[in-house]
Amino acid sequence: MSAIAEPIAEALPVAPAEPWLRRFKRVMFYGRNVDRSAKARARVGLAIVGFVVVYGIIALRLVLFGIISDSRTPQRIIVDDAVATARPDIRDRNGEILAIDVRVPSLYAEPRRIIDVDEAVELLTAVLPDLDPTELRARLSSKRGFVWLKRDITPEQEKEIYRQGLPGIGFLKENKRDYPNGPEVSHLIGHVNIDNQGIAGMEKWLDSHGLAALHMAGLATDRLQKPVVLAADLRVQHALRDELVQARDHFHAIAAAGVVLNVNTGEIVAMVSEPDYDPNDPRQANEPSRINRLTTGVYEMGSTFKAFTVAMALESGKITLNSSFDARMPLRMGRFLIHDFDPEHRFLTVPEIFYYSSNIGAARIALSLGTSAQQAFLKKMGQLDRLRTELPESAAPILPRRWSDLTTATIAFGHGLSVAPLQAVMGVAAIMNGGILIPPTFLKRTQQEADELGKRVISRRTSLMMRYLMRLNVEKGTARKADVPGYYIGGKTGTADKVVNGRYSKTKVLTDFMAILPADHPQYLLLIMLDEPKATPETHGFTTSGWNAVPTGAKVVARIAPLLGIEPRMDLPTADQLILASLKQSR
Amino acid sequence: MILRILNLVLIGALVLAAAYVYRIKFEATVQAEHLAKLRDQVRHERDKIAALRAHWGELDDPARVQDLAKRFLKLQPVAPTQFDTLDHLPDQPPDYMRPGSKDPIGGMIEHLEVPLEVTGSIPRDGATPQTSDNTTTPPAAAPAQSGAGSE
Repeated sequence: MSAIAEPIAEALPVAPAEPWLRRFKRVMFYGRNVDRSAKARARVGLAIVGFVVVYGIIALRLVLFGIISDSRTPQRIIVDDAVATARPDIRDRNGEILAIDVRVPSLYAEPRRIIDVDEAVELLTAVLPDLDPTELRARLSSKRGFVWLKRDITPEQEKEIYRQGLPGIGFLKENKRDYPNGPEVSHLIGHVNIDNQGIAGMEKWLDSHGLAALHMAGLATDRLQKPVVLAADLRVQHALRDELVQARDHFHAIAAAGVVLNVNTGEIVAMVSEPDYDPNDPRQANEPSRINRLTTGVYEMGSTFKAFTVAMALESGKITLNSSFDARMPLRMGRFLIHDFDPEHRFLTVPEIFYYSSNIGAARIALSLGTSAQQAFLKKMGQLDRLRTELPESAAPILPRRWSDLTTATIAFGHGLSVAPLQAVMGVAAIMNGGILIPPTFLKRTQQEADELGKRVISRRTSLMMRYLMRLNVEKGTARKADVPGYYIGGKTGTADKVVNGRYSKTKVLTDFMAILPADHPQYLLLIMLDEPKATPETHGFTTSGWNAVPTGAKVVARIAPLLGIEPRMDLPTADQLILASLKQSR
Repeated sequence: MILRILNLVLIGALVLAAAYVYRIKFEATVQAEHLAKLRDQVRHERDKIAALRAHWGELDDPARVQDLAKRFLKLQPVAPTQFDTLDHLPDQPPDYMRPGSKDPIGGMIEHLEVPLEVTGSIPRDGATPQTSDNTTTPPAAAPAQSGAGSE
């Protein structure tokens, strides 16, 4: 201020030199003692400060706009389009697509912006005849800001409606799940609802493993998610399904199911439960006849359970392949009699019990070892607990309420204990692969991962003996029709009487067949299951497994073995020479 | 005077800087728009690829292929006996067509073991013009040649 004060002091003496007119004006406008120049300086200073502030703000805003505006435009585009959320592709083990997202237009309306509801209803129903006019009118007359009119319309319909130029009608591109193979892999991958959320099968598993959380956060909008690779092989799956459909029609069975399992890794290479449904049209999925019988159904597996009984016997060390049991007459247990289907009326050795499928022999084996040994063994093989896989659907086994001696005897040949077929497959795979129980999986798995997960349940030696018995059963026993030349199949049949109204039915049966290939070094286990097959002229009136499930299994093996990369070997020696001999060497 | 020149220079520099910044900003906007457009295009392409893959999946569906094969091809499923390994192959056949030999066709005929027969896939009248074209060919070799030459 002092710097300003000095010129004022100088200016004052000069003041009288001012012309009179200017002075007059000054006095008239500003008053006698006001110094204009000082005031002007202060004003200029104020103006400078003001301008600096204003331009500073403008500059700051410019900088902010420069930083922010870029990220704003593309974001808006994505939000416009991505209503239904994106899901990762699902591929089979060879990279074939099982499920993929495609963009489809969906029709919506903003009722508040519609001018003429009648016109809109008329024009829209002309293009989309399946829209209900009264419902459409109600929707368009509502005061809401946004209503869906029809999800998933065709591009042609979109073009046509676009051309009508109705105000307040618009399209959004939505992700829609497409299953190019239709019913082929239905039970395996499940399906999604209209909002692209998984509600069954592997699709649901995807949601429960992080995808749902991604959706909530609004992050899963891009299709750059890593595809999920399943253990399944589409071609094997098709071959299995094709044969099962034929078998079901041929034997007039109410259902047919099958599994192909890699015994060394626990990967489920194919799984079919027929009747199935088309995941593109999941309405049928809720029909009770279309359930996945392999995981959600529990069944008495019949004679295939003898594999467990005999494995238990051989593992105990008390019984060897040369032990023999009395099968001369039916076994009386209290009020019940245990028969053989095709009685031999003599003492049978353990291999004979296995390949003649003697109920009496199996019951006697189990009784000689005792109830608690059987319980412990079945528990160890995972037959008494609910098997959980990636699939959300699973059923707990139905255990006998009281585990009496009679129960022990019947469970020995697969009656009295109901398990999910996939569970039995897991147990038999453990018996065959050298004694390692590996939880089955639908995802691709390496041998190392399987080794880490697996736990030893029986010895290698027992496993070898069981391979021998399985092969013997194909050479001499009930599964003779399964002997596809070149693949050295081993297998065990099972025929279980179905329970109808609380009693075992004499006519309605469930037949199954477990095949291993090749029997000397098992790689794959195949389960074929037919529900209530009927007798045909070729089966000579029989409905047992050997006449229906086994031939089906043979056809399946002949088709899938080349796909699975199993090399045919001709003129192999019999089981006695090939497997039993290696057993003696290992001793 | 120096101050005034300095002022003018500074004003000039300011104007230039402003123009330059404006240009950069403008270009950046153009680039950003271009980027957004490209991103959109990429998204569209991906969607199209997905649609095509889905379509391919439908066309490649084993059930469909099997159906078509049954209708249009006379192929049979492969029997296990039809597989073999390379080490089961017989020894290399005698190379009767040595390079530089005087009469390669004659050598071929001498070594032919398979009786020459006209199969259904060889058009019957296709054989006659072949022989008339090449008169030096012995008649016995004609069917073999026409078999290789005709579609």
